[in-house]
Amino acid sequence: MASADEAAPCIELEALSLRFGALKVLEGLSLTVREREFVSLLGPSGCGKSTLLRAMAGLVAPSGGAVRVCGRDPREGTQGLQLSFMFQKPLLLPWRTTLENVLLPLEIALGGNRASPLDEAKAQRILRRVRLEGFESAYPRELSGGMQQRVALARALVSDPEILLLDEPFGALDELTRDALNEELVRLWLDPQAPLKAVVMVTHSLHEALAMSDRVFVLGARPAGLRETVEVPLAHPRRPESAEFIRLQGRLRALVREPA
Amino acid sequence: MKGARWLVPPGFIVAALLLWEAAVRALHVPAYLLPAPSAILASMDAALFGHFATTLGEALAGFFLASSLAFLAALAFVRSPTLERGLFPLAVTLKTTPLVAIAPLLVLWLGTGWASKVAAAALICFFPVLVNAVRGLKAADLDYRELFRTMNASPGQEFRKLRIPFALPYLYSALKVSSSLAIVGAIVGEFVGATKGLGYLIVLSSSHLETDVLFSAIFAAALAGIAVFQVLGWVERRAVFWQEAQAE
Ligand SMILES: Nc1ncnc2c1ncn2[C@@H]1O[C@H](COP(=O)(O)OP(=O)(O)O)[C@@H](O)[C@H]1O
Ligand SMILES: [Mg+2]
Repeated sequence: MASADEAAPCIELEALSLRFGALKVLEGLSLTVREREFVSLLGPSGCGKSTLLRAMAGLVAPSGGAVRVCGRDPREGTQGLQLSFMFQKPLLLPWRTTLENVLLPLEIALGGNRASPLDEAKAQRILRRVRLEGFESAYPRELSGGMQQRVALARALVSDPEILLLDEPFGALDELTRDALNEELVRLWLDPQAPLKAVVMVTHSLHEALAMSDRVFVLGARPAGLRETVEVPLAHPRRPESAEFIRLQGRLRALVREPA
Repeated sequence: MKGARWLVPPGFIVAALLLWEAAVRALHVPAYLLPAPSAILASMDAALFGHFATTLGEALAGFFLASSLAFLAALAFVRSPTLERGLFPLAVTLKTTPLVAIAPLLVLWLGTGWASKVAAAALICFFPVLVNAVRGLKAADLDYRELFRTMNASPGQEFRKLRIPFALPYLYSALKVSSSLAIVGAIVGEFVGATKGLGYLIVLSSSHLETDVLFSAIFAAALAGIAVFQVLGWVERRAVFWQEAQAE
């Protein structure tokens, strides 16, 4: 989004450090995701991208520094904060059908009651968005890995999140499905009806990062700090064959390859 | 041929019984040592059915009592690590004490009626269910629990919608084993002191050298064990439809 500079901060990391026992994973990492911003995290495998995302969701405690999401510490509960996390693995409940899996967050928000027909209609609509119509009553073991991941995306979207954290969401998918879902996600992001305020996506794909995000944060090797922020001043729909896209891709590639 | 495959095990049993019958007749084995199957069949009467029903009733009562208590204890253990650390070793010690050693005490405390048998059956069922239920309730990966946390699920919701379903395969394999152990428990209780039941019949008929009655009681006990195991297996396949049993 063009005027990102003036927008309010949505997710703030201040000198964030995080270690597991003796293993320092993040050190002195500061970055800000502003409102109406789609950002990607890029970095070598094992550098701490998932850990960073989990810190944003309040799933791990920092050993130093601060995390604020909409001005609040996510460790103190994310009630009233519409935050959805999509994990690297689909994590579907094997005893629930596709539809029942997608309805899970709504049931939990209702205090464990059964979802209403209205909620079901909403879940159906989202399943259509991720191209899973016709599989509503299939169990996870009957779905391919890519389809399971799409169910997980639908489950992340069903609660109308304001903040969406995606950990290599489509890494397991074939390229065609991946492109289609990326487009769908961008469409959702651009949809003025959608309440989305910020998306943070971990990815391994330079192409994916450039096709979708407004800024790309490049992390260094462990303990990871922020190495570089790359602005992507391209309007949607983006054309991967455009000169600017190719130039940015070259720049990112050089950054990722360069030894820390 | 394919459709008749289920006939193979009963076929073997019938063949073995026929061989047994023939051998006993041909070799003139005394009936107090080894009665012929036909004699055993002739000794099966309404009284046997009464003893069978008594033992099955005691066993099932003990089984349901122990399974419910064990499941509640497992829930408490999983919610309170202190409780688990304190009581789990005690549970394991009790588990390794043979029931035959405790059964006389149960009869002394609870009398020769049904209560001591229900207690014996419950005692033998309790620990396998407890151990497997605890293991099952912890089987949900950290990933899944984090997913539930990002959805702001309460601890109660996490139990109902995640941990308990995850525990079911573990629980049902324990229930299957316990159900036949419950028969053993009830019979051991009856050995020590009873006025009816298969255990009582076994003790009585062996002291009177009524070996045909003894055999019919043994067959009835085996039948009870197989029946409860099969019923539990049937329930398990429906309750845990999404996967094979994964614990033993
Ligand atoms: N819960 C944990 N306990 C201990 N070490 C962990 C834990 N989670 C991650 N790590 C370690 O932290 C490092 C960074 O992991 P991760 O954030 O998953 O990296 P990435 O997602 O960038 O591949 C790895 O070395 C990993 O083994
Ligand atoms: Mg990762």
